[in-house]
Amino acid sequence: MIWIGDVLVSPGEGGVYGERMLEGYRVWDPRRSKLAAYYLLGGGLDLAPDMRVLYLGAANGTTASHVADYVDVVYSVEFAPRPVQDLLEIARRRKNIVPIMADANRPDEYAPFMEWVDLIYQDVAQPNQVEIAEKNLIFLKPGGHLILMLKTRSVDVRRDPADVAAGARSELERHLDVVEVRWLEPYHQDHAAIVCTHRG
Amino acid sequence: MLQRYWFGDVDEQGCRGAGTDPAALAERATTLRTGMEAYTPIDWETARNCGVARDREGYINLLRAVCTRLAREKIAVAYQAGDVELLQMVRTLDELDNVINLLSERAAEWHQVTNPSFSRKYRRLPARKMLDIIRREARGGLSDVADEINRLTGVRGRLMREVSARADEVMPNVSALIGGLVAARLLSRAGGLSALARMPGSTIQVLGSERALFSHLRGGTPPPKHGIIFQHRRVHNAPREVRGRVARVLSAKIAIAARLDYFRGVLVPEFIDDAQRRIDEAGVAA
Repeated sequence: MIWIGDVLVSPGEGGVYGERMLEGYRVWDPRRSKLAAYYLLGGGLDLAPDMRVLYLGAANGTTASHVADYVDVVYSVEFAPRPVQDLLEIARRRKNIVPIMADANRPDEYAPFMEWVDLIYQDVAQPNQVEIAEKNLIFLKPGGHLILMLKTRSVDVRRDPADVAAGARSELERHLDVVEVRWLEPYHQDHAAIVCTHRG
Repeated sequence: MLQRYWFGDVDEQGCRGAGTDPAALAERATTLRTGMEAYTPIDWETARNCGVARDREGYINLLRAVCTRLAREKIAVAYQAGDVELLQMVRTLDELDNVINLLSERAAEWHQVTNPSFSRKYRRLPARKMLDIIRREARGGLSDVADEINRLTGVRGRLMREVSARADEVMPNVSALIGGLVAARLLSRAGGLSALARMPGSTIQVLGSERALFSHLRGGTPPPKHGIIFQHRRVHNAPREVRGRVARVLSAKIAIAARLDYFRGVLVPEFIDDAQRRIDEAGVAA
């Protein structure tokens, strides 16, 4: 990852969403992006230039645009029409974002477009987040990684976030090795980044 | 094993490409059905050997063109449904209410400090009349604000009629039960007609009272009897003891009406007559 002092940045054309620029790099704000928060809090899974990434829940493409600055290609899946409008505009200017309008719950809808990926990054506000991740493992290379941004409040608002995360962890361990669970406080409340490796 | 990908079909014998025209490829992609049991992700070099592209950059570019085209088509279809614009209309209406109330309160406060002897007490002076007084007496910034509030009130009235008329078109059955405006508010809270049509009556009953509902689920407090549907006269006019029952019966009928609207899209008078009767029965105190 590229740091200027203690500011996380990414190399690429600026002006996507009004982000600040620093010495020609785009500042990646941990308050706006959970992935940036993960890196600022010491997360160790770096993005690399030859990585192929499947991004589930790309929304308006804010974080996806930063990821695209670092990697080879980002397959960006988003379901809701309004954010996809923005995502398409970003994909038009960034040659390595493939915009896919589909439901992450239904990988068969976008399977004909997918190649093997090195990383699945998932940030979806659904109660069955773990199940969605598991369904998408068919695209992940053996030894590849999953970063699941667990929104504990979307799973069950009534349960304690730590319980939800522990439950998700043990479910994920059916197919994956959990490398780390990192809470995103103070940038994001009740969100945990769960990083896993695919046993394959 | 035959694999059907966006660029063509691949099996043990080799690869049959489907050409390099994005429009044709997008058209073909909509017909692909993938069984996930035998699926393997694409190896892009297969696509290159198939004649789809000369290099990786060319492959990704063509794929982007196809996917962008498909996404644009899907967005267009999603926006075609009449409820998408109605959603924005009713939310704008609610924002207008907010703005008008905030500005009116502030204008009234402002006016009072310019008139030390002025008080609203004992004068039965609703905000609307108060505004007329301000427009007559004030000058400068305050009178501009008052004029603007007056204009916004006009905008709000016209938009309300538009919302009501559009709701009658988009959701004829729900509108027939509870009126276009309340129907549109339910739609807005549910997030669309397809979402509303999939909701159980018990959810519709408490739409708009999420705060009370979650405080009930978290602990102790009594459950809400009604949310948005309270705005309907048969709920708020019902005697206190039967209000919960009316809300329950009404929301059950709304759930059915929403499904009729979503799947048939036309008014079903027999259903409405029967539903109205049942709701009226529920409102009779035991």
